[in-house]
Amino acid sequence: MDVSQYLDVFIDETSEHMQNLSDCIMALENDPDDKDTINEIFRAAHSLKGMAGTMGFKRMQHLTHDMEDMFQEVRNDNIKVTSEMIDILFECLDAIEGYADNIKASSDEGTEDNQVLIDKLNAFLNGEAGASSDAPAEAPAEEAPAEAEADSSESDDMKFKKIELGDAERDAIKAAEDAGKSIYGMTVYINESCLLKAARAFLVFKAVEDFGEILVYSPSSQDIEDEKFDFDFSMYIAIDGSIEDVAKEAKDVSEIEKVVYGQVTYNELLMQAVEEEEAAAKEEEPKETPSEEPKAEVAVAKEEPKAAPAPAASASNNNANAKKAAAKPVTSRTVRVDIEKLDALMNQVSELIIAKNSLVSLSSGEDGQSSQTFHDQIEYLERITTSLHESVMKVRMVPIESVVNKFPRMIRDLSRQLGKKMELYMSGEETELDRTVVDQIGDPLQHLLRNSADHGLESAELRAERGKPEVGTIYLNAYQEGNNVIIEVGDDGNGIDTERVKSKAIERGIVSADAAENLSQKEIIDFLFMPSFSMAKQITDISGRGVGLDVVKSNIEALGGDVEVKSTLGEGSKFTVRLPLTLAIIQALMVEVRDEKFAIALGSIMTIESVPQSDIKYVQAKEVLHLRGMVIPIIRLDEVLDSEPLEDKPEILTVVIVKKGDRCAGLVVDNLMGQQEIVIKSLGHYINNNKIISGATILGDGEVALILDTNQMF
Amino acid sequence: MASSTSIDFTEKEKKQYIVVNIGEEQYGIDISFIDNIVKMCKITRVPKVQDYFKGIINLRGEIVPVMSIRTKMGLENDEYTKTTRIIILKLEAGMIGIVVDAVKEVVALSEDEIDRTAQSSKANANFINGIGKNGEELISLLDLSAVVDASIVA
Repeated sequence: MDVSQYLDVFIDETSEHMQNLSDCIMALENDPDDKDTINEIFRAAHSLKGMAGTMGFKRMQHLTHDMEDMFQEVRNDNIKVTSEMIDILFECLDAIEGYADNIKASSDEGTEDNQVLIDKLNAFLNGEAGASSDAPAEAPAEEAPAEAEADSSESDDMKFKKIELGDAERDAIKAAEDAGKSIYGMTVYINESCLLKAARAFLVFKAVEDFGEILVYSPSSQDIEDEKFDFDFSMYIAIDGSIEDVAKEAKDVSEIEKVVYGQVTYNELLMQAVEEEEAAAKEEEPKETPSEEPKAEVAVAKEEPKAAPAPAASASNNNANAKKAAAKPVTSRTVRVDIEKLDALMNQVSELIIAKNSLVSLSSGEDGQSSQTFHDQIEYLERITTSLHESVMKVRMVPIESVVNKFPRMIRDLSRQLGKKMELYMSGEETELDRTVVDQIGDPLQHLLRNSADHGLESAELRAERGKPEVGTIYLNAYQEGNNVIIEVGDDGNGIDTERVKSKAIERGIVSADAAENLSQKEIIDFLFMPSFSMAKQITDISGRGVGLDVVKSNIEALGGDVEVKSTLGEGSKFTVRLPLTLAIIQALMVEVRDEKFAIALGSIMTIESVPQSDIKYVQAKEVLHLRGMVIPIIRLDEVLDSEPLEDKPEILTVVIVKKGDRCAGLVVDNLMGQQEIVIKSLGHYINNNKIISGATILGDGEVALILDTNQMF
Repeated sequence: MASSTSIDFTEKEKKQYIVVNIGEEQYGIDISFIDNIVKMCKITRVPKVQDYFKGIINLRGEIVPVMSIRTKMGLENDEYTKTTRIIILKLEAGMIGIVVDAVKEVVALSEDEIDRTAQSSKANANFINGIGKNGEELISLLDLSAVVDASIVA
């Protein structure tokens, strides 16, 4: 059977399980006795192993198998969770991720055996398990009751008894029996969350065929291959050897919940055919109660092959566990959609909005008397397109969680590597951003966090000297602000030593000693964002190679965002990353400078003021406006945009006050044209990207207007 | 491009070029790179870009940058007349328009009608990759990647 069609599912699921594992292992380190977490880890590891096995990735399967063993021991309280163990587990996760990456790239797991890691696992396992050698013996015994419980419902689970046999099939059974083979009926239950049912069934058949011959399939083998069955299938097999071995092999196929079997004879089958109808009526009733059981059994009895019937005791004891396993998160009702299809949808919505805008400009441009209903309809259209746009945008939004949830693990690793104690606090993981932005924000954020861990936080001695808590704090906060999403990354470490930066800049010849004297704090900090400007005294693995903040900055700017730093020496620093919520369509204020039209994103506008020229004051030879207690620098757009100079200066200036974080600036424009929904179009690759213009848009009348990125003007 | 019907019968190995006037000279542009030829329309200036970019235009809902080949070659500024056209090229990095004084005709040239070694006037030496001979007339064949490439920014 070709499994390549399942590769996508496999990759998706692997990364889900990996993330789950990573989260749980982190949780386990904090609370080593939490049984729920351990069970969750066990399930995730088991699924991983199973999936790898199904897809034929033997090395990956091997590694996950050994990990699973480790969890098994932990679950049975045979070994204690220690931080060395967590380290090993994380190393394993990294190795598995390596496999997954290989598979993603080449559909092949690669050739790395990770034998060292496996040895380490086993050494750990043996070392620990040996110390409490009597415990393992108990474990199987404890699980026995669970088997028993399952057994009580087994007669109903033996669906093979209900297979309706045709004459040909009965003959086949008879022939096999005559040949001296034992005939068994077998029903296999597949885990209900299993996605590759047909593949599982196929593996079961393959395993069984090693022992004997499959005489009858139910449903038919074709239906099974086409996945036309629920979560169980039955068969009659003819074998020479022991049925236990067969069942065990079948059970070892991953995501198989259980295998029930029983010996049958040709005569029984004949009898059964007769009795079937009567039996069917009777069986209806007792069926109800045990129907939940097969699922519940997963967590408690997965490892054991079906044992011989044992007294049905202490079922209540197991029920608690059983319920937990059954209460799996309900899968949300979602559809996976190719991002390209969404892009296409988005483009069409954009076209629609452009078309709508031209209708709007038509209706307002004419005599104004044109029929009232026409206006009404246009307004209606406007409402629809706006909400359509919002819906499409929402579809593209994903929480940043998928990116930031790998950070706790990273900080933990860094903490060990650097020998500093630190804790990461995150908030706002549910904040949503456009998919394309989320995909690309991971690296810059990671870099900032590493920066905080490596450069930001002081050594333990220094922290003690400064009276700070021993454990350093690193935080990541995300929240929405207007049309932007803000992500703050900071620490309570040393902060940026501007004097050192300054001397470094002078040393590098970036700035002269004289000029450096007049630099503001902000200008000095900006040096850090220059290419190849590393402040680390020693180059470490983590940072300090000079490819750093400049890359962060350019990555974020490529996404239409920007990054700012605030820092207090001795108290810590904070990087604020600002990202646009949407990339495609925004509400904008249209303004005119001379006869050229420009769009300013509404989200960044605070107020619009009419200011007499006389109110403009000068501070350090720069124009400022004193407005309601704030001193706002004035930017003359015509100068910034190289517009033709005006012959006579107007008495009253129209000033658009824009904000960026807690700073403001006043942009002087000639004329306001009103608010409009605009579609952002890129200027393409040819035009040298000057940062003040973030794109262009097409107005209702077909004219092109440029979009101003006011964030670049501060 | 009504003229294209008349040359459907040309031999396979001949390449078609659109002949345009820029100043006194005739230039040929490989037809396979041409998406469209549009009349002069309003070009929206973009501040602070390379000087040879005239700005951007709206080509049926798409934003297309337009460059002046004259500025690039160091010739005097474009004068827009009735015959001025913008040739829209479709290249790997996207669409780009170039302003020409006039579009004359389509010619088909085979490789032996093209002189790859000849030098043209100094100004455009870097931008042509051959001279085509169409009867008595000489046509400088534009090396589009050279014309455009230098303007691609990382």
